[in-house]
Amino acid sequence: MANSNLPRRIIKETQRLLSEPAPGISASPSEENMRYFNVMILGPAQSPYEGGVFKLELFLPEEYPMAPPKVRFLTKIYHPNIDKLGRICLDILKDKWSPALQIRTVLLSIQALLSAPNPDDPLSENIAKHWKTNEAEAVETAKEWTRLYASGE
Amino acid sequence: MGNFGSTSSGRRRHRTQPPQGHGFVAATPPYPSQYPNGPDPNPSQHHQYPSQYPNAPNPNPPQFFQYPGFYPPPPVPGPYPQPYHGGGVYMGPPPANWSPGQLPYGAAPPPPGAPFVEHQKTVTIKNDVNIKKDSLRVEPDEENPGRFLIAFTFDAAAPGSITVMFFAKEDADCNLIATKESLFKSVTVPFEKGLGQKFRQPSGTGIDFSMFEEIGLTKEGDIEVYPLVVKAEAFPLNAGERESDGNSAGNSQITQAVFEKKENGEYKVRVMKQILWVNGMRYELQEIYGIGNAVEGDQNGNDSGKECIICLSEPRDTTVLPCRHMCMCSGCAKVLRFQTNRCPVCRQPVERLLEIKVNNEANSSE
Repeated sequence: MANSNLPRRIIKETQRLLSEPAPGISASPSEENMRYFNVMILGPAQSPYEGGVFKLELFLPEEYPMAPPKVRFLTKIYHPNIDKLGRICLDILKDKWSPALQIRTVLLSIQALLSAPNPDDPLSENIAKHWKTNEAEAVETAKEWTRLYASGE
Repeated sequence: MGNFGSTSSGRRRHRTQPPQGHGFVAATPPYPSQYPNGPDPNPSQHHQYPSQYPNAPNPNPPQFFQYPGFYPPPPVPGPYPQPYHGGGVYMGPPPANWSPGQLPYGAAPPPPGAPFVEHQKTVTIKNDVNIKKDSLRVEPDEENPGRFLIAFTFDAAAPGSITVMFFAKEDADCNLIATKESLFKSVTVPFEKGLGQKFRQPSGTGIDFSMFEEIGLTKEGDIEVYPLVVKAEAFPLNAGERESDGNSAGNSQITQAVFEKKENGEYKVRVMKQILWVNGMRYELQEIYGIGNAVEGDQNGNDSGKECIICLSEPRDTTVLPCRHMCMCSGCAKVLRFQTNRCPVCRQPVERLLEIKVNNEANSSE
């Protein structure tokens, strides 16, 4: 079983995530696979995602923490750096990964990405274009999607 | 938000120090400054991983220093945030200038091979006198209005003397030359052995800052000339022992500082450099980020401030150079070498790893 020789780092991170969760973030490991986490991030205040509850999945590959976790939005979201499959364009999940980062910091970074969309480095070309040409309208769409898809149930 | 692994402890704490003297740790000499023969074909011979770590907190978090010319100077705060401010690690949500990569979800880019990173061990040397850098200050001389006296706290494991010099230049073998002796007289005061001693320049020998302003020298003027230099020399009683190595002068610590004018017009002292002269060798003291945390912490073994940031299990004992982030255990450092050549904390390239065993027994390696 994958769970039988889980590195101490993962055990410790999991314990701390459960005992001291970051505000607006919850992450709990799956019972079948302790490397797979069900994540919920609350849309940050003063963002188009405010009031939304966003589900994500996070997986720690065998090489973790030398390699970054794999993270994906499961809830549909209108964001220039997140594509329709929920994949996230975030440097620390790619080449800027450092083993000093943790599940907690990764999720905080994603939460921050919701507060600060970056249409200049897009993953969804269309959404980014929308954001750059008519930001107010794009924000409205993002709010609408939050109501439609991230209302909590 | 954005910080993790932070503790409330500062980079260095002052506590009662062991009377035997101060443990100092130096990079193992004498490695060549570069590795002329390319990667060591058998690098593992440089590694010996301690099977056990001392668990007792070290009451005297040591300072560390390097051989001159061994490493480039400490990094200038540049594109990276200064990490470990007060013990915290800045690695949180990206700053405003983060730039997400273009690649969608997928494997991380392959690591850039396994770079050769030298892995060094430390040796400990003993210094008999230490001026507490953060305590260095100027105080008004009540008996001589307009004049100011240099004051600080220091520890001495042996008797000796303190010399306060102005506009002094460091010459060969750590000898100091006062370049403006006619204007600013040097002052030498003897001291006895003892910890936490308070030093204050004798009244009447102080300086008048208006003279500084006239000659416009509140900052470093000429190269290597510091407005304030304090030399603390120790003359251990067992001098006979030292004659055998041809060094009868004892050991000294030199603190080079500048004066800075505060907004309210008062002056404060800022230490630029501390140098040790021990057994005919010159060492520069440099702080290591994270070492204060490595030897202190709560008892439940769950203190995120002292554990290796990679395994979150072993105590930190390995410092990344040249950035001086003490953030890993030696085991993880060994693994990391084959994954990346970047410091996990600041992402600067790693030139070498320095393994520091924090030892509670100050004299154990003497």
